[in-house]
Amino acid sequence: MNLSDEQKRMLDGEYGKGAQKALTMLIKYGEAFGAERLVKVDTCHAGSSPLPFVKEMLEGVGQVRTLTTLHAGSAGASHYGQALGLRESYCRQETAVQEEAIRLCVNKGFIPTMSCAPYLAGNVVRPGSTFSWPGSSGALISNSLFGGRGNRDAFPASLASSITGFTPDMLLLRKENRMAQVLVHANSDLNLLDFNEADYGAMGYYIGAIGGMKNVAVAGLPKGLPFEKLKALLSPMPVSGATTLCHIVGTTPEAPTVDEALGNRRPQVVVEFGNRELRQGWESLHTAKTADVEVVFFGCPHLTISEIGLIASRLEGKRKADHVRLWLSTAGTVRTLAERMGYVDTIEAAGGIVVTDTCIMGFPYDRLNDAVKTAATNSARAASYQARRGIAIQYGSFEQCIGAALSGRWGR
Amino acid sequence: MHRCSAERALGTVTMIVRGHKVNGGRAEGQAIVSKMPFSFLGDFDPGTGTVLPEGHDLKGQSISGKIFVFPVGKGSTVGPNIAYAAKQRGNTPKAMVCVEAEPVMVMVAIMNDIPMVAGLDEEVLDIIQSGDDMTVDGDAGTVEVFKRGH
Repeated sequence: MNLSDEQKRMLDGEYGKGAQKALTMLIKYGEAFGAERLVKVDTCHAGSSPLPFVKEMLEGVGQVRTLTTLHAGSAGASHYGQALGLRESYCRQETAVQEEAIRLCVNKGFIPTMSCAPYLAGNVVRPGSTFSWPGSSGALISNSLFGGRGNRDAFPASLASSITGFTPDMLLLRKENRMAQVLVHANSDLNLLDFNEADYGAMGYYIGAIGGMKNVAVAGLPKGLPFEKLKALLSPMPVSGATTLCHIVGTTPEAPTVDEALGNRRPQVVVEFGNRELRQGWESLHTAKTADVEVVFFGCPHLTISEIGLIASRLEGKRKADHVRLWLSTAGTVRTLAERMGYVDTIEAAGGIVVTDTCIMGFPYDRLNDAVKTAATNSARAASYQARRGIAIQYGSFEQCIGAALSGRWGR
Repeated sequence: MHRCSAERALGTVTMIVRGHKVNGGRAEGQAIVSKMPFSFLGDFDPGTGTVLPEGHDLKGQSISGKIFVFPVGKGSTVGPNIAYAAKQRGNTPKAMVCVEAEPVMVMVAIMNDIPMVAGLDEEVLDIIQSGDDMTVDGDAGTVEVFKRGH
């Protein structure tokens, strides 16, 4: 690894013990992939746990050297733990640990967005800029929709980058590694104009499983799709696989054409995606065998203001079924806007809650006062993670999920 | 590319497999071999060190204190943090050997001081068998496997 003078001084401990440890980790990380240098990182996203590790990393650090937002935290430590039905003792314990961690991080300049979608809260990635964002959906969206350059960095990698201001020049930071190896054709038998977000989610879930760690290109999608549908398509890919870059031909900044997405090379794998594949995607996500619905949740990744507005419009003047819990999950900044728009009042009047600062995907079901066995969602990403934890999933669109929240039964 | 060499002494065959360094340090122990990509979130219980999911080829087996040989990392970027929780309870593998280096698994090793070698041919997943005694030299990027009785 060729280090700059500043990096050498950091490695010698001139910037404190934490920065020295962080730089040492980044050098090892880079060398494992043949990186020859560390380059400036433009934006980071980090986590505030595990607390003893974060403390060690921040020893002697004055302020982080990169704009760094904080990831979603524990549901027990959000202000909504008890409203979500979590045990009081669990919430108290989680809150104590997390508040100490956030205090520590905020003092060092981390921005407590507490969201998996920092792009909703001021962490902006531009075409060609470098980022280190754990949370596989944020990294994939930043690479694929915003044109940034970042790797499948884990939480400690990003923390090290925020402290040092550097990331190894390797893998997806380098143009030659950004070509797609997997080409997916959206077939003409698909009724793409009527595709809802759950259709896109099922498509992404199917594609991710085929792509593995490879870069993907998807051709044949309509131009000008709303951000929310693109988010639904991309976010399950790193759950069924490990996709970190998906060129959506005609949308991704560096992929105006199929040839450019492939770097004028022949793809290793070509996938024809039609109605049969779409059905397979749906069937692998919808695991419930009965029409029971106990929880309906939206917001994985965190809801945009448009999505909250859509849900509020469908709930106007209505009331959820008594036995259903209706949860929406978003960033605090987005909730503030939703309050000003009157959406939160409408949703609460219908019996729902708008939760911030936490990850519904990783919801601690085992800490609930009353156990839950089935949940309905329009998020393929959350559906897959929760199914692995034994929750039977009703998978469907916004309209189907809201219908289930109101009637208390799943109707197909 | 790796090179294999074998020596025969007192009924034990020693094979040396070369990959590349991911994280330094030496470890000796028993191999546990999987042919499936692995994630510390979802596939693993940090409280017991065992592999969880139905359908995983190591389901119910512990990787704690063993030399974990598998193809590649996958899954959530929170993996290193889960391994950190396992380490507090002494439940991490002694070393890791992968066919391919993958960013999240590399950080599992770096964060938790686990010696790791990667860049081996896929056939090591057949050559090394669960229960084989082996040593991993993270700095040299080499793996030694001791086969008895042949």
